[in-house]
Amino acid sequence: MKDFISKKVIYIGLAAILVAVLAAVTMALTGGSAGFAAMLSEPFFKPVKSAMTSLVGSLEHIYGYLYRYDELETENAALKVRVAQLEQEYREYTEINEENSRLRSLLGFVERHEEMKLEPATLISWTASNFSSSFTASKGSSSGIELYDPVVDEYGYLVGQVTSVTDSTCVVSTVIDTTLSLGAQMSENGETGVAGGDFELLKQGDLKLSYIGDSTDVVIGSTVVTSGSGGVYPAGLVIGSVSGVAVSSSGLDPYAIVEPAADIENLVHIYVIRDFAVSE
Amino acid sequence: MLRRKNSAPVKALILAPYLLILYILQSTLFTHIELLGVKPLLLPVAAAGISLFCGRVEGGVFGLFAGILMDLSYNQLTVQFTLLLTFLGVLLGLLSDTVLVQGFPSFLLSCVLELALISVYQVLSAAVLHSAPMAAAAGVGLRQTAYSLLFSLPVYYFSRFYCRVTRQGRGI
Repeated sequence: MKDFISKKVIYIGLAAILVAVLAAVTMALTGGSAGFAAMLSEPFFKPVKSAMTSLVGSLEHIYGYLYRYDELETENAALKVRVAQLEQEYREYTEINEENSRLRSLLGFVERHEEMKLEPATLISWTASNFSSSFTASKGSSSGIELYDPVVDEYGYLVGQVTSVTDSTCVVSTVIDTTLSLGAQMSENGETGVAGGDFELLKQGDLKLSYIGDSTDVVIGSTVVTSGSGGVYPAGLVIGSVSGVAVSSSGLDPYAIVEPAADIENLVHIYVIRDFAVSE
Repeated sequence: MLRRKNSAPVKALILAPYLLILYILQSTLFTHIELLGVKPLLLPVAAAGISLFCGRVEGGVFGLFAGILMDLSYNQLTVQFTLLLTFLGVLLGLLSDTVLVQGFPSFLLSCVLELALISVYQVLSAAVLHSAPMAAAAGVGLRQTAYSLLFSLPVYYFSRFYCRVTRQGRGI
């Protein structure tokens, strides 16, 4: 036994415990908003991860092009007579136009919600976990972002909530993550419920609207918005639309399956709502 | 004696970039390359390789750092993988020092053991903390283990090569 548990092995064990203690102390000092490993490593990993994400984006673009080459060739042949028009359309689909479009959408959202203070950020990397849905974004507490701030896309569709913050980054848990739940209502009939992630719906990218009454008239396609109860989220943010109705495994609780309005998988730019007027 | 003194920095110089490359790949590239709806775990496979070929001390140290990076790549504040991979690094190193033969079958067995234990932990966490159905969570765990095992071959050759080189350095 003495041979197996040598001094070095004991030191390794102590080091692991030290890391755990440091993490616990850091969490206690930051009010559970940041881990000590993340705080130490972020200056190094943030630029590397950003560069890798950009590289992966380029590779995906090339892969997508190769994959759809035959399809594009056929389509191109049929549209040859409209070359001039295609060139015009090509120019319209440049990156600058996309950016303009995104900003115009945001401007519309901001004009409708002047009371909100938004902080733009970009997605750095997704979680490696198969059991959750979260990503790291490029802004942190130095930009005024705080724990539990809501996050939307450029159209104002709800993306998720900030669940940890360091100085220059934050982690956003998306609306389909199983840890997230929020007050919601169907805009058509005003019926309220609790929207949140569900493990079985996670892989298909949906969430569920629970605690709806047996007699509630759930219409497929109904828009689900935040209710604003609790004051964490502003009222009226679009979460998604009802794509189906199901019953829990106990057979007692009906729930609606909600398809998020935000394109979670293809997010690039996000906006953190730093402040808003609470209306209850 | 001089070689022995210098072996730790040399090992760190080789293993640190290895760890960082695997971490960057796991947390960026492979979050976009899903197979059967899951993403692979590279760091536990690498930790199993170092434990098997280099023993409990290096296995434990490598497991400690691999665990810290695993927790980072999972965007979580807690340190469960830091503790789990350190423990598994020492445990597999002990088995390697005593009963396991240092070959590919043993390495594969070590990888399966490490990945299966991680999956069991994740499945139980999902079931207990987030009311996930056990069957669905276990399915994800199984697919995650299977996908991650695809990376065992390159990791096996690197780990074997690394330990041969550093053992020569130590004059063993």
